[in-house]
Amino acid sequence: MRHKFLIVFAGVFWVTGQVSLMAQAPPDSAGKRIEDLHKELDEVKQEIADLKNLQSAIPQNQDDELDRLEGRLDQRLRELENKIDAISRANAPIVFNPRTTAFINVAARADDKTVYDSQGQTEIQNRPFLRTVELDLRAPVDPFAEAVAIISLEDEAGKGFGIDAEEAYGLIKRIPALETAPLGMKIKVGKFRAPLGVDNKLHMHDLPWITRPLVVSKYLGTEHGEFFESGFNPIGIDFEFFLPNPIPSSTLEMNFDLLRAGDLGLSQGTSGKQPAYLAHLNWSRDWENVHLLTLGLSAYREDGSPSTYLYSADITYKWSPIEHRDIHSFVMGGEIFLGRTVVRNEVDLNHDGVPGLIQDVTNKPLGWFAYAQYQLSWWVYLGARYEVVDEPTNDRLNTKALSGYLSYYTTEFLRFRLGVEHRITDLPEHRSVTSGLFEINFVFGSHPTEPYWVSR
Amino acid sequence: MRKLFLLFVTLSFCFFGLSQSLLAQKKMKVVTTLGYLKYVTEQVGGDRVEVMALANPKQDPHYVTPTPRMNEVANGADFFIENGLSLDLWAKNVVDASGNPRIQPGNPGHLVATINVPVKELPTEISRAWGDIHPQGNPHVWLDPLNVRIIAENIANRLKQLDPPGSDYYQKQLDDFKYRLDVALYGEELMKIVGKKAGDILTRKTRNDELMDWLVSRKLDGKLGGWMRIGSRIAGQKIVSYHKTYIYFADRFGLNIVGELEEKPGIPPPPQYRDAVVELIKREGVKAILNDNFYSTEAADYVASKTGAKVVITYLDVGGAEEVETYEKLVSFLLDRIAQAFSS
Repeated sequence: MRHKFLIVFAGVFWVTGQVSLMAQAPPDSAGKRIEDLHKELDEVKQEIADLKNLQSAIPQNQDDELDRLEGRLDQRLRELENKIDAISRANAPIVFNPRTTAFINVAARADDKTVYDSQGQTEIQNRPFLRTVELDLRAPVDPFAEAVAIISLEDEAGKGFGIDAEEAYGLIKRIPALETAPLGMKIKVGKFRAPLGVDNKLHMHDLPWITRPLVVSKYLGTEHGEFFESGFNPIGIDFEFFLPNPIPSSTLEMNFDLLRAGDLGLSQGTSGKQPAYLAHLNWSRDWENVHLLTLGLSAYREDGSPSTYLYSADITYKWSPIEHRDIHSFVMGGEIFLGRTVVRNEVDLNHDGVPGLIQDVTNKPLGWFAYAQYQLSWWVYLGARYEVVDEPTNDRLNTKALSGYLSYYTTEFLRFRLGVEHRITDLPEHRSVTSGLFEINFVFGSHPTEPYWVSR
Repeated sequence: MRKLFLLFVTLSFCFFGLSQSLLAQKKMKVVTTLGYLKYVTEQVGGDRVEVMALANPKQDPHYVTPTPRMNEVANGADFFIENGLSLDLWAKNVVDASGNPRIQPGNPGHLVATINVPVKELPTEISRAWGDIHPQGNPHVWLDPLNVRIIAENIANRLKQLDPPGSDYYQKQLDDFKYRLDVALYGEELMKIVGKKAGDILTRKTRNDELMDWLVSRKLDGKLGGWMRIGSRIAGQKIVSYHKTYIYFADRFGLNIVGELEEKPGIPPPPQYRDAVVELIKREGVKAILNDNFYSTEAADYVASKTGAKVVITYLDVGGAEEVETYEKLVSFLLDRIAQAFSS
């Protein structure tokens, strides 16, 4: 307003002055002066128009503008304070604490015959179990490493609970002296689920089934059988890195592990003084994040008594449509394991108390499983698994099992699973058994998003 | 012998020069989690960057399963950019598995692009009982073009830090990109009338909800063009969306979101809740239901069949379809589709 007033005042003052000057001028030049004045008037009008345009680009009333600015700053200050409060409430007390996740896995079974745990001592049929309670803690140690500790409370076939360090390792992501990690090398040191196949790397709560595959349980390690937590999680060091790959759009990864021997199920825990070696090669390709194909090969060796070799191959295929993702998805896969144990027996031929012959007894058990799972709806998954496995200590004794299951997820953090399994075996306890199985899995805490949902 | 020596020296210089030239042309490898971040980085980084996005732009950015290929791609990156705000949580798995020290959090090669972006819907109570809530606020910030300006500045600043010789270039690229965004948002005519600092002035006025008053007071409201002009035609209209995806978009363009098909974020609507949404739509007179391409349309179709509202299939990320291959096209697409739903 002030600018407008000044402009108009200046215009009027100027015109008045010109008119006054014109009044003092001689009459003969009046026509020309009027013409000049019209020109100048037009110029002033143009200047006023320009000033009005300029005025539109600057605040009309600076006091009002300052008030509004102050109000806005106050409001912004309040928003920021609220934000700081909210973030403080969310993070401040726990900011450097490890991210913590807890898992509770409860399962029940109903069987048509007596079923024992793997030690053959405890009956486990027709009863519920709190199979595991797991506490997963993880956090960066410093700019170079991260640490993970997974402590589990495991049901010992209904006879109590045992506490175990399911995994406890440091992950070195960057060597201080090196700016880059050659081949993307990551080094894991401690106790961890070894990369021997695919299934062994999964914890019980991540499995797409209610029980471990028999071959994983029997060959890699179990205390109480496949109904309870099992697998191979030795102490050692793992080097994981990428390998150059001639096939476009695919990835080749390698793990090489140096482990403490004797923890593998196949060696029955009888060796352990020598180191064990494990190599795992993994090739994978994905198509636009819709299809994923993974092929793996593993080889394990430990010298001792018995000398143990274990080879495995695995395949996994996943199809998960990215549009309308909550309708269907599909997963299929399988793993095959071939073991070889050599036990050196000293034979007393003459029965004189002095061994006269050293005899190697070789056992070559083979086991495999294959499975498929289809997503029926956002919440429901249907799957089946078939498996065949030789006994680790006697490759002439064989077990076959066929199982089916239905999983219902309320969210990725709560799962109900119902299954049925029919098993035929050469083992002397019973020739066949049919079991109904039920599982509930709870996941809670500040956990990462993966891999609780196997097909997403 | 002397000639041989001179030849050797000449060839050495040629080889050195060639290698320097090749090194100079080596582009910075940037990996982003989402397609819109790829697009913005390309605009700001220009010829000096080579960008790859990990997620398929058609997929739900909340639920991307990291694959070994992603890990390997990230292994070769000089610079990794994620959205943050607990949207692309899977990025951590990729960065961890990449074995690439340069892109680990805490290093200049790692950027959460939404830092400094004003976030909406900060929860005061954080519990899984509320569904898949985001503790740091609603993460779909890029659907407001004003936030993309901030994100572009964040990316440009980090590019300058990582590649100091390119600083001037990145600044010019950033200024050009912001100008294109401003022209798309307000129209070229208004930008020219307001003058040199038009982008900053109009952005400030828009962010403070003073744009229209300011334009009216200067008789410039008739000059408003671009997305804001289209937005003014649909402002005040009521919509329902499947997920809380469009909070920022609706606030910028004046749409009124009266509810979501999801009862709680991340959980598909149970049948009984769909009927509650039907009642809500009837009561509020909602004409459009926004359904992202990666969600099932089952619930939206059901509600639409009971209410007559139109289901609008939307894309969230740049590159999700041919029509949304740039950020500018994505915003235009959303505005056009919503405007069509109301006009029909």
